[in-house]
Amino acid sequence: MFKTIAKPQKRKVTGCGECRSTCQSACKTSCTVGNQSCERITREQNPEKIK
Amino acid sequence: MVHIFNFKDKYYAYDSGSGSLHECDEQTAVYVKAKYETSEPIPELSPEKIAEIENGVKELGKQGLLFKEEIKVFPVKSSEVKALCLHICHDCNLRCRYCFADEGAYHSEREFMSLQTAQKAIDFLIKESGNRKILEVDFFGGEPLMCLETIKKVVSYARSEGEKTGKKFLFTTTTNALLLDDDAIDFFNREMENVVLSLDGRKEVHDAIRKTKNGKGSFDYVIDNIKKFVRSRGDKNYYVRGTFTSKNLDFSKDVIFLAENGFDSISMEPVVTEIDDLAIKEEHLPVILGEYEELCDKYLEKYKEGKGFNFFHFNIDLEGGVCLQKRVSACGAGNEYFSVVPNGDIYPCHQFAGDKDFLMGNVYDGSLNEDIRQKFATTCLFTRDGCENCFAKFICSGGCAANNYHFCGDINKPYPITCEMMKKRIECGMHALAVKKENKN
Repeated sequence: MFKTIAKPQKRKVTGCGECRSTCQSACKTSCTVGNQSCERITREQNPEKIK
Repeated sequence: MVHIFNFKDKYYAYDSGSGSLHECDEQTAVYVKAKYETSEPIPELSPEKIAEIENGVKELGKQGLLFKEEIKVFPVKSSEVKALCLHICHDCNLRCRYCFADEGAYHSEREFMSLQTAQKAIDFLIKESGNRKILEVDFFGGEPLMCLETIKKVVSYARSEGEKTGKKFLFTTTTNALLLDDDAIDFFNREMENVVLSLDGRKEVHDAIRKTKNGKGSFDYVIDNIKKFVRSRGDKNYYVRGTFTSKNLDFSKDVIFLAENGFDSISMEPVVTEIDDLAIKEEHLPVILGEYEELCDKYLEKYKEGKGFNFFHFNIDLEGGVCLQKRVSACGAGNEYFSVVPNGDIYPCHQFAGDKDFLMGNVYDGSLNEDIRQKFATTCLFTRDGCENCFAKFICSGGCAANNYHFCGDINKPYPITCEMMKKRIECGMHALAVKKENKN
């Protein structure tokens, strides 16, 4: 018996390169992309956040 | 590939091809793992149970959420530069034993970056950024607040040049908070997109390593500054960032200490050092992996009490997140991200600063060693030893090039100890995600 906890949203932008640099985060030693968001989608959803 | 794992009595199946996470019962987990993932004997189950599991597998497979074929795509890397780590000074007002930067000096003279050099670095970034509009600059040290006036001028210069060239700058500062006074707090809140404040947790843990030049523990000097800053920060980003060593393998207590002191955005990183009595070694791994589970339990307890906090490594975004290109690209050091040291020399990232084998150029002549750049530009998930067969690959992206180099001698050879910690943090993050979702429903 499976219960789906999470699946990726359909909306994807691929390879636009607008995402933030991975190393500009908190750790400076354990970089990971798993907790980064897509900058393009974030901007589209929050147009005032990053103009 | 499907990764079956459990967090105590909860069982999960993570499908790396689709990025989906499913919860299942123990029998299902054991059966799927044995039948599809390993050569272990398939457990004896009732025909009804087997039919139920197989139907579930088939149904999720049809939806593309289980055993989805992974796409092996080599990234098309742009030559646009996105970000600089600006070593505004190679000096520090603390003498932390574990400092990878040689207590701020980076194995060289203690020196400060001139305003002219910093402006040249900004010019270099704008020039090399191509069509990219949003640029990032991270003020790093040593201790950047020893040069606050220079930082203010650099920010002002970048904003002004950005306006002329259509670029928007996002700034970050990493600080030990010793000089974090009202002036700095006000400036940070106005100008910094993110601020990273170093605090290792409990006073005795922090003071054992993070000492002043006179050898005194620095906790009492920084704690009130950090609290004041965080209270003033509003909804802007910050991280209170600690480092754990082999001396505090019970680091979950330090994270909870930070959370209970009012910090709701926390990161706790394993030390990167070769100092024998502080270094994380293979023999510490069982305790560390257990400690991450302990931390995850405590993190969820706080969440359920309505006192939840953000722990950097438990944030796994499976529903949004970055695209596949980004996930296979690795960290970007040496290609889209560089560090610039006080004399203007350019290195792939802050962890390579001062290593002449990785000196890439200088901002004064704008040169970049193309051989080194190519080495970093061509590295990706699929050039890294063993990553292709790891469930965590699209989340960790192959790990830290500098760690790989410093511990294994090659940016493409992942450091196994780091890998084990990363995998455990990812499992904890997925479990936390499941529990939070369950609580919301």
